[in-house]
Amino acid sequence: MPEVKSRDVVERFGDRAARWAFIRPKKPEPLPIFLNRGRIYVLPTSFGLFLAGVITALLLGALNYNNNPAIFLAFIIAAAAHNSLVHAHLLLSGLCINTLHAEPVHAGQNMQLRMRFEAKGARDRQGLELVCGDSEEKFNLLAREQIEISVSITTVRRGWMQTGRMRISTIRPLGLARAWSWIRPDTHLLVYPALEAQAPALPEAQGEGSQARMHAQGEHLHQLREYRHGDAKKQIAWKASARGEHLLVREYETQTAKEIQLDWFSLSALPYEARISRLARWVVNAENSNCRYSLRLPQEFIASGSGMEQRHACLRALALMPHV
Amino acid sequence: MLLQLPGSLMAVFILILALAFFYPKQLPGFLRFLLVMFLGATVMSSYNFGIGRDAASAALLAMLALKPFETHSQRDAKSLLGFSLFAPFAAFLQDQGPLTLGLSMAAFVLCLMGFASLTETNNASWRISLKAAASSALIALPLAMVGFWLFPRLSNPLWGLPQNALSGGGLGDRMDPSQWLDRLSDDRIVIRAKFFGKTPRRNQMYWRGPVLIHFDGNAWIRDQGAKVRPRPELKNDVDSIHYEVMLEPTATNDLLVLDLPTTAPQNSRLTYEFNAIVREPVNSIQRYEAVSSLQPRFVAPLDDLTRILALRLPEELNPRTRELARQWYAENPDPIALANRFQDWIKKDFKYTLDAPILGRDSADDFLFNTKRGFCQHFSSSFAVFMRSAGIPTRVVTGFAGGRYNQLGGYWMLYGKDAHAWDEIWVAGRGWVRVDPTAAVAPENILDTLEEGAESETFTESIFRSTINTSDWLRRSWNELVLGYDSARQKNLLRPLGFDTEDAKQLTFIFMIGAGIALAITLMLLLRQRREDLHEVERAWRIFIKKMRRKRHEKLEHEPASEFARRIAELYQSKTPESAERIKQLCARYTQWRYENKEFDSGEIKQLVTDLRQFKPI
Repeated sequence: MPEVKSRDVVERFGDRAARWAFIRPKKPEPLPIFLNRGRIYVLPTSFGLFLAGVITALLLGALNYNNNPAIFLAFIIAAAAHNSLVHAHLLLSGLCINTLHAEPVHAGQNMQLRMRFEAKGARDRQGLELVCGDSEEKFNLLAREQIEISVSITTVRRGWMQTGRMRISTIRPLGLARAWSWIRPDTHLLVYPALEAQAPALPEAQGEGSQARMHAQGEHLHQLREYRHGDAKKQIAWKASARGEHLLVREYETQTAKEIQLDWFSLSALPYEARISRLARWVVNAENSNCRYSLRLPQEFIASGSGMEQRHACLRALALMPHV
Repeated sequence: MLLQLPGSLMAVFILILALAFFYPKQLPGFLRFLLVMFLGATVMSSYNFGIGRDAASAALLAMLALKPFETHSQRDAKSLLGFSLFAPFAAFLQDQGPLTLGLSMAAFVLCLMGFASLTETNNASWRISLKAAASSALIALPLAMVGFWLFPRLSNPLWGLPQNALSGGGLGDRMDPSQWLDRLSDDRIVIRAKFFGKTPRRNQMYWRGPVLIHFDGNAWIRDQGAKVRPRPELKNDVDSIHYEVMLEPTATNDLLVLDLPTTAPQNSRLTYEFNAIVREPVNSIQRYEAVSSLQPRFVAPLDDLTRILALRLPEELNPRTRELARQWYAENPDPIALANRFQDWIKKDFKYTLDAPILGRDSADDFLFNTKRGFCQHFSSSFAVFMRSAGIPTRVVTGFAGGRYNQLGGYWMLYGKDAHAWDEIWVAGRGWVRVDPTAAVAPENILDTLEEGAESETFTESIFRSTINTSDWLRRSWNELVLGYDSARQKNLLRPLGFDTEDAKQLTFIFMIGAGIALAITLMLLLRQRREDLHEVERAWRIFIKKMRRKRHEKLEHEPASEFARRIAELYQSKTPESAERIKQLCARYTQWRYENKEFDSGEIKQLVTDLRQFKPI
């Protein structure tokens, strides 16, 4: 995670002001989000304020002595500072957040948000900064370019999660002014339940039990056989084939999955959330040990199966169990 | 600004900066303390432990030079950059020339570069920072210009400059022998004068400064009371000279005017002694116009107070001069004749030199009968003692005389070394009459008549002189254009536009308008986008799409042109079938040009472009 800078006075003020009624957006909004001038806020940075003090002192002194070069100097600094307010605004305006998605993670883990930004209009946008919670990410965008930015946010509880308020800001070109805009995408991100740390072993498999079956892909080499039409190229044992007349193909044996039934009602001794995290742990463990598994929940039954989709279906069902 | 420092201090600063550059680690605390003490002592000693503007500026630089030693965070760097903006400002207090402005603009861009590079996340190259800084500086120009020209100027300063601020070519309220030698070798320009219409002859070019009337045997001193008394009336004179003066800062309240002024320059007033006095010391370049008379005649007789003052002498001093004066007066009491006789006498025997022997207690006696060598100060002083001894009211006038003509700019330049002192005697019926005994002895030295003999000038001399003329002309133009701009000129600038700048509201209003215009220009510069390199058909197509959008027929981004045409055509079909047909046909032609490999000749392309551009959706 990138190092988090300490916020300056104006930044903290901006954070606090975000609650005020006229600061937009008030509600989460659907993607794509287009940043226009109605929702971009600009204020000097604390360094900008310091410089404003310096300029005032210079200008007062210069005007008092009617020292023309000094007056010009003061005004050109003031103009540069003022223009940097406008410039910062322009760097943000016309920016578009097209998509936002993230791989689900278990509650308590950091979720990598991937956001796609697009620069509309023909201006290069440099020094953009995305702040989301405690993490921040800096990036540059060239005109009409798209870029995918990932920031990590911490997840707390299972179920649907929203990113909350994120800030996209810039202090370019001179670091004297900060333009920022709040974004609150209404995208719902799934957070799996937390996994129980020390779960007991998987419940006993039921049904036929273990049984070796031939399969083209597997862990243990079983035998070589002659090539048949339709065999995958990568299965061909080239070395062995070179010795004989025919193409030989490797054949593996795999353990056919055991059939495990994960049952909500068998864990009645545990409290509600603990049951969910144990079941989640078991789903993960079962998937890792290549078993076939089914999941019975109070409102739902997920039929036996295996693979990433089965895993996702089970974890999703667990994640979306109503909170009590 | 570094260049304005004494040499030794400059060397120390450069050494320290180099040290800071090559020794990036933090110095231990006691070493830093020692360094601060050392630098402080150096600064103080180079300014003889006086505390003034110069010393303060040097101290500021010292602090800035030391700061890098403890600059380690971004915050330190920022405050260092911010405070370093005071350095060019301090430089401007000393010199406001184009070179200083150029250097300070470079410093300004460097400073912006610093700002820009502080916003960089990864240590980007200085080129990018320079680009950001330079473009920021350029874009800032319009607004800065408006601020410069239109921001309401103060006509009276809020606070005064410190007294030691600028010790220029100002003439003091005293004249004693020792003080004047420095002045007579001062090469800086004091006055630039331009005459409108009639130009006085060289021997009439006396620029009047303080009038000194009290004599204590050694020094001549100004009568402070004369500043508040109203000036005597002059008879109307046809022979008047109208001119403009650009006066360098003198740190005194006197404006120099051609002898004898009849109209006071703006914002000043003429005293009893015909000195033009301003309220605030002249600390920046002053431009003023005035009218003077070459042959003034005083209407009223001399008042008693002035007569007493102008005749008073220390009783016991200068017995020989008194004796001579009384003797000559007895022979011919006419003041003019007396003055002429005196001048004839010194013309024969006396010599003009800056290397004058020191005079004794009876300074006039010593000079007239013993040393017989000296400069304007000795001549005018002795003459005044002589005339007063003869009972003729006399006073000493200081100022500048002579000057060189700058042909390029058509104006006269007077240097510090042109400082001069002459006398005025009271002649009944005429009033005060100028007598310059020094000019009688060495007119070429006083009135620069040497330079008129151009044939005696060698080639290198003439090159040298024309270089001086050119550079001074440039400097004067700078002064006039940039430095002379003040609240008065601001008024003149705005008056023709029908604005009354006395009214603060109007002035603010003008400034707002100007700032608005400048902001519009700024915004235009900022919004200047990189133009896409589009084919003319593509450009025309975009205009076409925009026109359709205005009629609420948005072309969706994923929608191909043909699909769009079909959709829109359906909408139009019922109302205006011919318009629908037109849209379909245009889209088809565009699609052909864009996607089908059909060759378009230039005529067809032109036709498509004009059709797309001229299409008017209903």
